[in-house]
Amino acid sequence: MKGFFPIFKRELFAHFVTPLAWVAMTAFLLIQGLHFFLIVQHFAGQLDLSADAGPVQTFFGQTMMLYLPLLFVCPVLTMRLFAEERRSGTIEPLLTAPVESAGVVLGKYLAVVVIYAAMWLPTLLYMVLLGRYGEVDWHVVGSGYLAVLAIGAGYLAIGTMTSALAKSQLTAALTSAMAIMGLFMIGVGEFIFPEGLGRDLAGHVSAWAQMNDFSRGIIDSRRLVFDATVVVLPLFITVRAVDAWRLE
Amino acid sequence: MIEVEHLSKSYGAVAAVTDLSFGVERGQVVGFLGPNGAGKSTTLRILAGFLGASSGTVRIAGHDIVEDRLEALRHLGYMPETSPLYPEMKVREYLAFRAELKSVPRAKRRADVDRCLELAKVADMAGVPIGHLSKGYRQRVGIADALLNSPPLLILDEPTAGLDPNQIREVRALVANLAESHTVLLSTHILSEVEASCSRAVVIAKGRLVAIGSIDEIRGRGRPEVALVVRGEEGALRKALGTIEGVTDLAVSAEQDALRATVRLSAEQEPEQAATIESIVASLCKAKLGVREVRTTTATLEEVFAQLTMAEKTVAEKTSSDATEGTA
Repeated sequence: MKGFFPIFKRELFAHFVTPLAWVAMTAFLLIQGLHFFLIVQHFAGQLDLSADAGPVQTFFGQTMMLYLPLLFVCPVLTMRLFAEERRSGTIEPLLTAPVESAGVVLGKYLAVVVIYAAMWLPTLLYMVLLGRYGEVDWHVVGSGYLAVLAIGAGYLAIGTMTSALAKSQLTAALTSAMAIMGLFMIGVGEFIFPEGLGRDLAGHVSAWAQMNDFSRGIIDSRRLVFDATVVVLPLFITVRAVDAWRLE
Repeated sequence: MIEVEHLSKSYGAVAAVTDLSFGVERGQVVGFLGPNGAGKSTTLRILAGFLGASSGTVRIAGHDIVEDRLEALRHLGYMPETSPLYPEMKVREYLAFRAELKSVPRAKRRADVDRCLELAKVADMAGVPIGHLSKGYRQRVGIADALLNSPPLLILDEPTAGLDPNQIREVRALVANLAESHTVLLSTHILSEVEASCSRAVVIAKGRLVAIGSIDEIRGRGRPEVALVVRGEEGALRKALGTIEGVTDLAVSAEQDALRATVRLSAEQEPEQAATIESIVASLCKAKLGVREVRTTTATLEEVFAQLTMAEKTVAEKTSSDATEGTA
């Protein structure tokens, strides 16, 4: 783990001085703002609400607007992590400092996870706003954010991996977007496959189904285990890739 | 400080470094010489643990660079070729980051960064983003980085590449200054640099060792040139010199009432060179040519370098072919 903390700090700093991070965040918040506006407008016209289908539940669970942007935002956040360092050559001083591959990978990865979480932070205001004009189930808010974080953490790990495997940022972003899209599509299989193993499998990996559950306050540990797998496996491959550069 | 044994590195079928062995002792300033593409950067990257070797071992301050990488790197300050840096960071920020990576204790970090800024003469640019610096300054930031945490050994990959003459002089003075308290291995293809700053040199060509030793020893490896001024027929002169063994590269030009000829001696050892010169003079006298001048000039380092690195056969190949001839 040697090298983790300085790399984590530098990576956070690097994100906030690049315009791309701000563009991605702004675009993300614009979409979420529009999303929230549409939901509120929809519910404003309804007279009575059932307990588990209010605006908060809808925000996290019922529409694709919430995580469709993740397909673009996560690859943009992760694409430069390693690809940029390899293109500019700064990977050489980095890896010839007394650091361990795991420290380098985790430092970079956790920095983007923090940025990702920070990106969601302003949306908490929506919940505060709703709370002022009605009832908000904070348990549902908590499980909703937990799911958003768990799913995003997996997407970011995939992006970290493709950034280490690809030599250009563009390839890194495209391949991670494709991988995330693929994962999402398998989940859609839940609605397509006939009843049986295929549908069960699709249901388990489905981000859509996970958001639906968590937006109702149902925290299913099997889903969290799956999310953890999507974090750990790509990160393990990334560490091995960094090790392999020394043997190239 | 550095022990390299039987180091080989190949990229697929292409051999970049073949069976390279050399050592650098504490306190030495060693030039690592070779034409472009000889395998200098590859070798230095292996020394710094950035690339893996195909075979062979490298020890830095007694620590194996593969088995005991972190400990080996603690003794080493490495500046990669062209000194790649993060352009968005300010010089001081970057060095503080590097100091933390290199485990300089928090309490000493600021002082260490200041010391290296001063040593590398970049203190006046401490607050400037690296992206705004000239190439010479970026190179010096790279050197300042290598100096952090006071490693006893510095490996600098082409510290003067791409700099203008003034910057080259400044960097050279800097290296000379560092040499007093560090062991230094620096790669270059500029020979005056080696003559100016190094006590020893390692010369490689096509990934193989061709010469190692003090600068004077390596210069001594050069084969001297003999310039002759002779009165007589060109044909007779060519005939007289053509029969002597150990003479190559004959060039003849006419000069007023005489001929000027230059030859290069192929012998590497001094006694044989002297014997060849004697037989040249004897042969010329025997041919009844009027010898007016015989002058030998020792090869410059440039010529030695060209002879060593352009030669078809490298030391290793030559000794192995000699050995097979011997047994046959």
